[in-house]
Amino acid sequence: MVLIQGPATVGRLYEEIQSVRYKEATDTFCRLVTEEDRPLKSMIREAIAAAAPYVQVPSHLMRLPTGEMRGVNYDHTILGWRGAISLMRELGDNRGVLPSVQAMWYVPQGLNVWEQVICEFPGHYARDGEQCNRKFPGPDEHVNRFDGPAWNPPKIYFEDHAPILGGSVDERLDRMSWAIAEGEKAEAYGLFLGLAQDPANRKRLKDAILFSGIIDLQDTIINRGGYQNIGHKALRARALVDIADYLGWDQSHELMYTVVPDLACSPHLHGLWTEIANICRMEIPDHASFPKRSSKPLTERELDILTEALVWGGPAEVNSTIMAFFKRGAGILDIGDGVMVAFQKYLIDVLEHPNAFLHPTHALDTMNVIMTWCRDFDNPHQVKGIFMGARFMNDTVRSNAMVPRDPNSRLEPRAKYRGWADGIAIDRMLPILKQHLLAQDAPRACALVDSYLDRTTERHNLLDTITYAACHWQNDPHVMRNCSSSLEEYRANRTSRKDDIIRGYAKHQARYIKRALTHDCFNLYADHFKVEGHA
Amino acid sequence: MNTLDEIWRVRNASATTLGLIEDQMERAVRASSVDDLVALIEGFSPARSSGTEWTRTFEPLVERLWTWCDDATMAALADVFRARGMPWMSVANALSAPNGTTIRADIRHPAGARLPAFTLI
Repeated sequence: MVLIQGPATVGRLYEEIQSVRYKEATDTFCRLVTEEDRPLKSMIREAIAAAAPYVQVPSHLMRLPTGEMRGVNYDHTILGWRGAISLMRELGDNRGVLPSVQAMWYVPQGLNVWEQVICEFPGHYARDGEQCNRKFPGPDEHVNRFDGPAWNPPKIYFEDHAPILGGSVDERLDRMSWAIAEGEKAEAYGLFLGLAQDPANRKRLKDAILFSGIIDLQDTIINRGGYQNIGHKALRARALVDIADYLGWDQSHELMYTVVPDLACSPHLHGLWTEIANICRMEIPDHASFPKRSSKPLTERELDILTEALVWGGPAEVNSTIMAFFKRGAGILDIGDGVMVAFQKYLIDVLEHPNAFLHPTHALDTMNVIMTWCRDFDNPHQVKGIFMGARFMNDTVRSNAMVPRDPNSRLEPRAKYRGWADGIAIDRMLPILKQHLLAQDAPRACALVDSYLDRTTERHNLLDTITYAACHWQNDPHVMRNCSSSLEEYRANRTSRKDDIIRGYAKHQARYIKRALTHDCFNLYADHFKVEGHA
Repeated sequence: MNTLDEIWRVRNASATTLGLIEDQMERAVRASSVDDLVALIEGFSPARSSGTEWTRTFEPLVERLWTWCDDATMAALADVFRARGMPWMSVANALSAPNGTTIRADIRHPAGARLPAFTLI
């Protein structure tokens, strides 16, 4: 599927991105890499730069004429790139380019979110979530005009700014954190740009930006409509850190323009942070000096207790369970590892409806940001981060449980297919697993994974199979983000139950609702990069 | 051993209490009108539920409704909630005849047990 003849140029890529011609933009992106020998890294940077002015919104809450408020989605273009860069190393060679092609496919569909939700600009929110074409159809009833191209140029809600210099590093970091929390976008962004200029500041700057993202998290999503961020501040901060490390901080101005102003965008949700800070101050006042790891990690019984609290308990039970572990001397990462495997129980055994995965996996990805922050940085507030992540996970479980389960979405038990899976030779299992992941057949895919995990200690190829199959699905950066989180957490987890992360990962990728059931993007990638297996 | 014996006695006492409440619930459900049952089910709306612990009891309730109510009552309930559109779709599906057939086929009444093996929590 080569769409355009004539030379592929970076200028053309910009024009196609900004006019929401996502198929053409992806074709140009691939051709720049394969025909023009442009480095993939450089093309990723150009794609980020082309989108950067158009991903800000005035607020993530929109006041309606009725006086009510609705949520405005967060930019996902940058999340796709973060996942793609992480998976590039995982999948390797030409297969490793697929996630970048998927990220590129999504970028033009994710611009101008504010206009999309009011049906004034095309893209996936307007086309899919808002169903704008039903409300405002074009002249041809067979054409969904919200699939692009755009009829207006995208709007810029926040102009680029100059760095703010002067003052000590401590002072500027403090001011930046304050500006983010108070919604002073220009000051936050300018200070970030200034601090980022000096490589000596970058470790502290990364820690500060992650901290600002992590503490901005709703206390609940239950009946809150759009008054939440489902972890997007933390996810965004993590994307900035990872992508800047990949591109090089001196090559990341447009990336910073994409991410930092939105960290200061309203609403600011610090209620949960305040609660956790209070209980930690009361119960464990010396928590700033707690160890990352201890000689007393969670026991099997404690993992069971944590699972019960996280999946079936309420917020107070989650708080008290985790508090008890800290008080008896478990380390920050010991407990975080426990939270990560305990939550898998929900993914593996409870979740059924494809739509119901969305919030829990945002919580999982947010917990991954918290755990990475705890692993890679030293910050006196990291104990609180573990509470925050666990509370978000528990809240998504409870939010889903507020809606009666739909019997029409019932899944067959994976155990039903265990005998079938056990009958397949080990060396034939992974291609069959890929087929069942692509067929979104969760019971059989999960039975295959259970069988594989029990019969061999091999894990690399299993994870590779799940990840590569997942990356066949287009229009959804969540997929690549969850791949990246699951792989990282599996590798870092030190509990006896770490294989449950693979079980949860496979279930998610075999069941989570898909935004498109075709594989046009994969096929375009396969054509350009000479990969077999048109889907 | 004494501890096990004690726990088993407490468990038996709890089961007896629960069994008596199931009997009461059965009598109350059988005596209820469709409107009464609609009012009970409306309490499972996310906007009216007292919390997840309440909403999670919807499936145990549906098992009992399919066991204790006649087909006409169940069809009337399904019609009421299906007419309310998408927000009530999972409830309407739970009250639909195919789901009733599945539930009635799946609920065992073990030999030696006084009550069917309903879901507890």
